[in-house]
Amino acid sequence: MSTAALHAEHDAHHHHKESFISKYVFSMDHKMISKQFLITGIIMGILGMGMSLLFRLQLAWPDEQFSILEVLLGKWGAGGKLDPNFYMGLVTIHGTIMVFYVLTAGLSGTFSNLLIPLQLGARDMASPFLNMLSYWFFLTSSVVLCISMMVETGPASAGWTVYPPLSALEKAMPGSGLGMTLWLVAIALFIISSLLGGINYISTVLNMRTKGMSMNRMPLTIWAFFFTAVLGLLSFPVLLGAALFLIFDRSAGTSFYLSDIYLDGVGALENIGGSPVLYQHLFWFLGHPEVYIILMPALGITSEVISTNARKPIFGYSAMVISLMGISFLSFIVWGHHMFITGMNPFLGSVFMILTLIIAVPSAVKVFNYLTTLWKGNLRFTPAMLFSIGLVSFFISGGLTGIYLGNAALDIQLHDSYFVVAHFHLVMGSSAIFGMFAGIYHWYPKMFGRMMNNTLGYFHFWITFITAYLVFFPMHFMGLAGVPRRYYQFTLVKEFDVWMDVNKLITVAAIIAGAAQVLFIYNFFYSIFRGKKAEQNPWQSNTLEWSTPVEHIHGNWPGEIPTVYRGPYEYSRPDREEDFYPQYIPDETSTDPLKSTKAAPAPDTKEPEVEPVNSVFFSALKRVFGWS
Amino acid sequence: MLLPFVAMAQTATDVVQPPKEFNPAGWDWAFIAACALTVLIILVIARAFDIGSLTEKVTGKKVIGWTKVNAWLAIIIIIAGAAGITYEMIYHGKLILLNDSASEHGKTIDSMFNWTFGFTFLVFCITEILLFWFMFRYRYREGEKALYYLHNNKLEVFWTIVPAIVLTFLVLRGFNTWSRITDPSKVSKDATQIEVYAYQFGWKARFAGDDNKFGESNFTFISGTNPLGLAVGAEVDSLMAELKRDISKIDILLASAADSSRVWQTALRDLEAKQNTTAYPEVYKDVLTKATDARTGAYVRNLNKDKKRKQTNLWRIAEYKKNKDFFNNAANDDKITTEIVLVKGKEYVFKFRARDVIHSAYMPEFRAQMNVVPGMATQFAFTPIKTTAEARKDKNNKDFDFHLYCNKICGAAHYNMKIKITVVATEQEYKEWLATQTTVVAPPVVETPEAPKTDSVAPATDKTVAVIHN
Repeated sequence: MSTAALHAEHDAHHHHKESFISKYVFSMDHKMISKQFLITGIIMGILGMGMSLLFRLQLAWPDEQFSILEVLLGKWGAGGKLDPNFYMGLVTIHGTIMVFYVLTAGLSGTFSNLLIPLQLGARDMASPFLNMLSYWFFLTSSVVLCISMMVETGPASAGWTVYPPLSALEKAMPGSGLGMTLWLVAIALFIISSLLGGINYISTVLNMRTKGMSMNRMPLTIWAFFFTAVLGLLSFPVLLGAALFLIFDRSAGTSFYLSDIYLDGVGALENIGGSPVLYQHLFWFLGHPEVYIILMPALGITSEVISTNARKPIFGYSAMVISLMGISFLSFIVWGHHMFITGMNPFLGSVFMILTLIIAVPSAVKVFNYLTTLWKGNLRFTPAMLFSIGLVSFFISGGLTGIYLGNAALDIQLHDSYFVVAHFHLVMGSSAIFGMFAGIYHWYPKMFGRMMNNTLGYFHFWITFITAYLVFFPMHFMGLAGVPRRYYQFTLVKEFDVWMDVNKLITVAAIIAGAAQVLFIYNFFYSIFRGKKAEQNPWQSNTLEWSTPVEHIHGNWPGEIPTVYRGPYEYSRPDREEDFYPQYIPDETSTDPLKSTKAAPAPDTKEPEVEPVNSVFFSALKRVFGWS
Repeated sequence: MLLPFVAMAQTATDVVQPPKEFNPAGWDWAFIAACALTVLIILVIARAFDIGSLTEKVTGKKVIGWTKVNAWLAIIIIIAGAAGITYEMIYHGKLILLNDSASEHGKTIDSMFNWTFGFTFLVFCITEILLFWFMFRYRYREGEKALYYLHNNKLEVFWTIVPAIVLTFLVLRGFNTWSRITDPSKVSKDATQIEVYAYQFGWKARFAGDDNKFGESNFTFISGTNPLGLAVGAEVDSLMAELKRDISKIDILLASAADSSRVWQTALRDLEAKQNTTAYPEVYKDVLTKATDARTGAYVRNLNKDKKRKQTNLWRIAEYKKNKDFFNNAANDDKITTEIVLVKGKEYVFKFRARDVIHSAYMPEFRAQMNVVPGMATQFAFTPIKTTAEARKDKNNKDFDFHLYCNKICGAAHYNMKIKITVVATEQEYKEWLATQTTVVAPPVVETPEAPKTDSVAPATDKTVAVIHN
């Protein structure tokens, strides 16, 4: 295409700002992009949850035949029985979808995009164009992953960690063929998306805060998104490296991860000198920060929601920020606790054990601070608040079992058992998804200008909360009895027979939990069109996003961007009639900003008054490509 | 950079849609109806609450006081949670492996577990009860104002220091336990070695023979009759002969590649012309694949790859053959077994070796686990302190057996990959069992005194195949 044509096309875009395509599809508005992330995330979440129900059916009733399986899965469910290879595929794709597509992109992508400009007082992201690219890479990646489930040899099935040699050798299992190739392509695209997003979040937070919004007046959500983006930016490239090496091993005959392998039906392979453990190091160097990439936005959202709905300042703002910082730093040097018994030098295991258990300290501080924030509050039970409380509960239950697993000596027994499944589903699965629900219920009025139905929200919360515990709590006991994870069925080992009733309980609870999500999905989509119209500030919140008009406009504020006068959590100040004191309301009684806030310093006058809509990145790109 | 995409494009041609049978009569209509009904009921409930909230709006009266309902539900959660946990601990608590370790070091792990459980369960109870109690106690009350409480440094330092102290204690204890268990220098020199060998999908154990010495092994020696790849001269010779035969076969195929290609193209055209593509889908698919491979050159490429791989192997084996220390006949009297028998109170070192992918040797009753990694030697040392008979008595289950499970995802039959471990009370029982196991190479026939003495060694044809490769 010639430059002139590009010009013409771009101009056409520019002049028809409100056309359907530019408003809803190739949108560069951060609010629309956040909605795109959210809805894609929800669709992927439905898929991921549906898969878990399919393999739960297999685990609870291994000898039954469910003709529904044949309808849904074709040859993989022939005769109403789930194929063992496809079981592995379901487990793998369930993990991949939930970890990357729902809880990384769906959670962090949605709320970072929505809240960073709105809570900081910026017209848009630093680079709206990169932001748009980030979404489209994510969507392409999702589509590729979905396609990978439809190829003849089945999807990638070596577990979501795809350890080679299993994932590297096509002959080792059917899923390691085309399905695995597509998985790698999908993850590469996902990493690009996540890096584009991360660069944007960081530059926006650092450069585009409104007047008076010093770093220590930022809401904790923004702190969480900021650290999350830093973690992603530093760790995702390592996963890309790991994936590239794996691609080379699979297709170019290299031996990064392969050595001394004899395969049935093939013979001894030529590869020598590689190490499968190298992959594990590279993978978990991302993999562990990834846990916090998932969890920290949820914790940030919870801080905001709990403080708002307890009508009480968050207890220990600085401690909350410092603990986030501590968690972020430590998360980079604890990856080895996933590898205690992989044959890694035992001394290295000791080092990782010490570092891992240190990370429990900032996590404990966060829990105690949440509890103190609730203490003597005036708690409004909005669904968002309930989900936040649920998050704290899961964070405690799942976090404490981390102390067992982080201990190398105990990990000998517990590694890869159901105890691990229980641990991470509580601490990063359930609690992060509860953070996401809390965020959706809380900022729904901001996103769609309408309210969700509270009553349905209560039902959604209580059913999900109880069933999540019913699903994951008994798994601790299975793990302690030495039941390994990722087993297709337990009936071939008679020692595990005693757990069949528990497996049934878990499956029934999981089905009820799945049904409860129907309530949410109904509520979500129904309210977009028919929900009650939202007020300007429905939760009487302090933060800046509630000062923007209910109907979205490009650039967020019709006039000047408001100035910030105090910290975000000034609830129930004794000197005020109302129990909230928004950040953007000028101080009536005192002109000294120092006295008006909780020891927040004077606003930084060096902050630019008017933020450029387009960042340095975008203008540089424009110059490079010669766009007007 | 293009390679993965090229590979993808090649494999993509294999994707032929399986024939789809649309047979609603075979569906479980009752199940589908039940699902549909559930969704319908949920939607009706949802609608009912919509109407409920509408009534609230119209009449201005609250139908349900949700603040109170939620607050009381929090109390119910505390009570129901406590009841549920108690029930679980009584009902399933007796099934968990705790304080009944079948190995010496397992006791230290169990005690470590008990300490950790003590601390964490205390914290769990306190924090969860506080969380839900606060939820009940501080529920929204009209006109009340929350406490404006920003921070309290003393309190925050306190709850940073206390977990830090507790964790320091746990770390030091864990560090000690872990190093004692895994430090290779702590394993005594007299410990008996057993090689545990993992493959898709099973385990084999190898015991040293009468010479108390393990024979060497290498993955290039693996063949149908030599599943562990042991350095047995005769086995390796026959493998080399087989490889040479294979290579010459490939050469013949390569020479006639053009002809084969023509044959398959003709067969394909034939099938398509006679419209037999749907009548014999399997045949058609096979021919289509072959014809496509031949046309794209994948057929020749794969043959060449295979040839090169076999030549490399042949060369590697030949290099090993030159090393007389390697082929020292130590492997001949090794015993490959499908069961592991240990003697109570004796120290063992399990040396792990994998054939294809990563497996994990998981022996929960012995509190032992180690990954089995291709290309990397791993080991785990432990001392069993409980015989199978004792464990059966303790568990009150006369069919109980110790097992070693695979605990790292390794393929379709991962869930059925295990080997039985029997712990016997005396060395005598173990020796009796070992005597029943065949050696890798059968010992030379014991000569009768009358026979004239010869210097010839056992001919290669005398060897028996110890283990049939499955």
